[in-house]
Amino acid sequence: MATGPTLASELRDFYSREFALVREHFLRTGDGRAALAARTALVETIARRLWERHISPDPQVPEDVALAALGGFGRAWLFPYSDVDVLFLHAGNATEEKLKNQIRSFSQEIWDLRLKLSPATRTLAECDRVDPENFEFAMSLLDARYLAGDRRVFTRLHDQVIPKLVAREADQFIKRLADLTRSRHAKFGDTVFHLEPNVKDGPGGMRDYNVASWLALLSAMEQLRAWPTEGAPLPASARPSLERALEFLMAARCFLHFRHARDDNSLAWDAQEEAAAQRIGLGTQAEEPHAPLGPSDWMRIYFSHARRVHRICLQLLEELPTTRPSLYRQFQSLRSRLSNPEFSVVGNLVFFRQTDSPPDAAAVLRCFRFLARHGLHLSSAAELRIEQSLPALAKEIPSGAELWHPLQDILTAPHAADALRAMHSLHLLTLLIPEFAGVDSLVIRDYSHRFTVDEHTFVAIDNLHQLFQSQSKWDQRYAELLDELEQPDLLYLALLLHDIGKGAKSENHVSASVLIAEGCLERLDLDELDRETVLFLVGRHLEMSAALRRDIFDPETIHAFAEKVETPERLKMLCLLTFADIKAVNPEALTPWKAENIWQLYIATANHMNRSLDERVHADAHDEVMTHLRTLAPAAGKRLENFLEGLPRRYLLTHAAGEVLSHMEMAARLSEDSVQLNLHRGRHWYELTVVTPDRPLLFATMAGVLAGWGMNIVKAAAFSNSAGTVVDTFYFTDRFRTLELNIPEWERFKTSVHDVLVGKADLDRLLRARQRSEKKHPPKVKVNTKVDFDDACSAHSTLVEVIAQDQPGLLHRISSVFAREKCNIEIALIETEGQTALDVFYLTSAGAKLSPEHQSHLTSALLAELGN
Amino acid sequence: MTKVEAIIQTSKLEAVKEALHEIGVEGMTVLEVRGHGRQKGHTEVYRGREYTVDLIPKIKLEIVLADDLVEKSVAAIVNAARTGKIGDGKIFLTRVDDAIRIRNDERGESAL
Repeated sequence: MATGPTLASELRDFYSREFALVREHFLRTGDGRAALAARTALVETIARRLWERHISPDPQVPEDVALAALGGFGRAWLFPYSDVDVLFLHAGNATEEKLKNQIRSFSQEIWDLRLKLSPATRTLAECDRVDPENFEFAMSLLDARYLAGDRRVFTRLHDQVIPKLVAREADQFIKRLADLTRSRHAKFGDTVFHLEPNVKDGPGGMRDYNVASWLALLSAMEQLRAWPTEGAPLPASARPSLERALEFLMAARCFLHFRHARDDNSLAWDAQEEAAAQRIGLGTQAEEPHAPLGPSDWMRIYFSHARRVHRICLQLLEELPTTRPSLYRQFQSLRSRLSNPEFSVVGNLVFFRQTDSPPDAAAVLRCFRFLARHGLHLSSAAELRIEQSLPALAKEIPSGAELWHPLQDILTAPHAADALRAMHSLHLLTLLIPEFAGVDSLVIRDYSHRFTVDEHTFVAIDNLHQLFQSQSKWDQRYAELLDELEQPDLLYLALLLHDIGKGAKSENHVSASVLIAEGCLERLDLDELDRETVLFLVGRHLEMSAALRRDIFDPETIHAFAEKVETPERLKMLCLLTFADIKAVNPEALTPWKAENIWQLYIATANHMNRSLDERVHADAHDEVMTHLRTLAPAAGKRLENFLEGLPRRYLLTHAAGEVLSHMEMAARLSEDSVQLNLHRGRHWYELTVVTPDRPLLFATMAGVLAGWGMNIVKAAAFSNSAGTVVDTFYFTDRFRTLELNIPEWERFKTSVHDVLVGKADLDRLLRARQRSEKKHPPKVKVNTKVDFDDACSAHSTLVEVIAQDQPGLLHRISSVFAREKCNIEIALIETEGQTALDVFYLTSAGAKLSPEHQSHLTSALLAELGN
Repeated sequence: MTKVEAIIQTSKLEAVKEALHEIGVEGMTVLEVRGHGRQKGHTEVYRGREYTVDLIPKIKLEIVLADDLVEKSVAAIVNAARTGKIGDGKIFLTRVDDAIRIRNDERGESAL
């Protein structure tokens, strides 16, 4: 090569020419590793030439200074447009000062070649300590490689300084690396599954591979006090898949660099299309032509590699004790107490105790239930055992209650989302719910969504569980709704399935999701009512968002929405599903604007459902609900019509179709026994339904019997039809656990209710006995009594809303006042919130609305009875 | 060039967008905002608690147009957004000194 001023231009031409060859080779073969090796060699050649030019052509001179490659350059993985990290290593300060100008000229020449040089200058002594302000430099020494100059100086660094530094500071290295990694992951939402991921810094990207290698290396060097003989000792079982992942990621990152002509590592949609068309990372281009690969299929391959890298990285972070933040270590002993006969817990990691044979399906599901309850992670040993169990599991996949009951427990546990992710990453979720395979790592082109469809689902489920931890006033409102649900498991199941149709390549993902979910629900053997609820939620999951685009303060909008939602319980579930779904689109999607609008729509609809109670059912109507009932009970015919005629529409909104038919059957048995009762235990409370002919003081008597048994009524709904048959349902808690602890008491309780209602037993005696046995406790929160009337919401009745201090016997006292004041209860809706009773009644007197004087009198009577 | 800022009811967004597309106006910025003029707030009582919305949710559209399109656009917005009731919204017009297309440095009306 020529010397003098033409060296710069010669090197420029040389670099340009050789770089073009590297590029051409990559485009032809797709071999990322070869491209990295070639560019590394190219830059090395230039660095050595410039060393000869500016520092010394004689390798023996000067002494005590060497040039080393660091970082990616040191690993010989120099990506096409990555920075070039070098270290000017001096034995002492003398050569550093002597060579200052030459080093500056060297660096200038490299920059003039448009190579982004990141030079560092250190003495050996400076390399022997970790600078807390520049931890990354200490890490880069792990990849140091000799380039030029005094080899003895470099050898001292490599063979003596670095091993001693690591042995001495391993804890700090590992802890800082863990902190930086967790912080980096958090910036990307702790998920691999972004629609446009970053292949370098994103979770599961090149950086995570490097972190895994460094952690393994640091751990080995700490023990050996020397370099391990075979490079970074990654877990043996993980090495083959990690190597495949590395090849893929190298090719993907090279592709992006060449495509963008800069260090841009973002896999945007247009890049995904090209990468798929060129089959980047899937083998050399010289192979036989393959069937075309769509971008979503290529991205699935990317995600499978990234998921693997991310998992190994996280496992190493968990399994090395010093990687855990100090607070976690304090909780270690607490965590260990979670161990049980089946699972042992070390730190945050779960191990199977029984290791003779792979765990069976039930044990595997119990393991994930355990994770979901306690927020734990699988150890690599536990993962291996579960992977070993999959072939046997695939031959006999659990279904029905065997699958649904453990799945229920997992879905409703606080850390459900993480447990589901773990199941999914082991391919267990798609084994148990094959329908979910359609959305596995599925990229849908949507500018507002941030995550793949499966990840979006897990985030949505997590959004609901997080409500109970949130301090935000909006979240707390929604948390209250969630806490009131009778069957939150159905809501979580609906969330798991709500977008499953997106994998079906259908125009309408909602109807596709319903169709696919039907098959899944049948396999889980959910009962009919529950299936209806889940399918309703899946089928209507965009309904609330659609309603938000209309005028939510317009009664017509509310009315139309209420008709679609049907029941208050479904309204709550749909509201929560909408909240969770929107919040899972991307971190900014649920703006305060949207959250407030969802809430306003919810309360307006809830109030509408309460205040439009009075519309009566006409049995010959052919609306959706009536048609559905006739379909379910085609033989019922006239009996159904007679039962429904004159019942308030709210009755149909409060009770699902199955319940309505059950009440109809109870009404049919009234000729045998004039009081028909049904008692069962729900999630939060007991539910007692009474079907009986209407008579004066009926509601007050029922409330009195329950109070006499020490039951606390939290909700109630009372309706009657044109034939004068009453359907009253009381939801109550068993304050003294009478029913819970004494099964025979169920029958005695029902007999007592029956006998009071038919006049065989004395209610007053029951109430007196209760009053004598109970102590009065002062309330924790004082609630003032409030009585409000609304004459406008019904054509036939006067609505009265009573808000009062909740206490035993309250409902009996209120309804007794109504009876004394000659008011007939047409409809009653009772709710309790904490210490506040919120009771709504539709009243008539002598078949008409209450006059203003009657209302005033009633107010005084209520305030006198309840106090103010 | 003129900037048209239109504050409309949320339920009118689709109709206004369609009306603008029909006269050839494609580019716009949409913001979720709150506010009120003479329209009163809304109070809903739920379980004994009052939830008052003083600032009503609205949509604000921002469009920068060549001057010859302004009146047509205003008419399109008014026709699509009007219900005749208080709360329909308002439109504001301001002059714009220049517009620049980031992709290729184009300026002026050709950047719109």
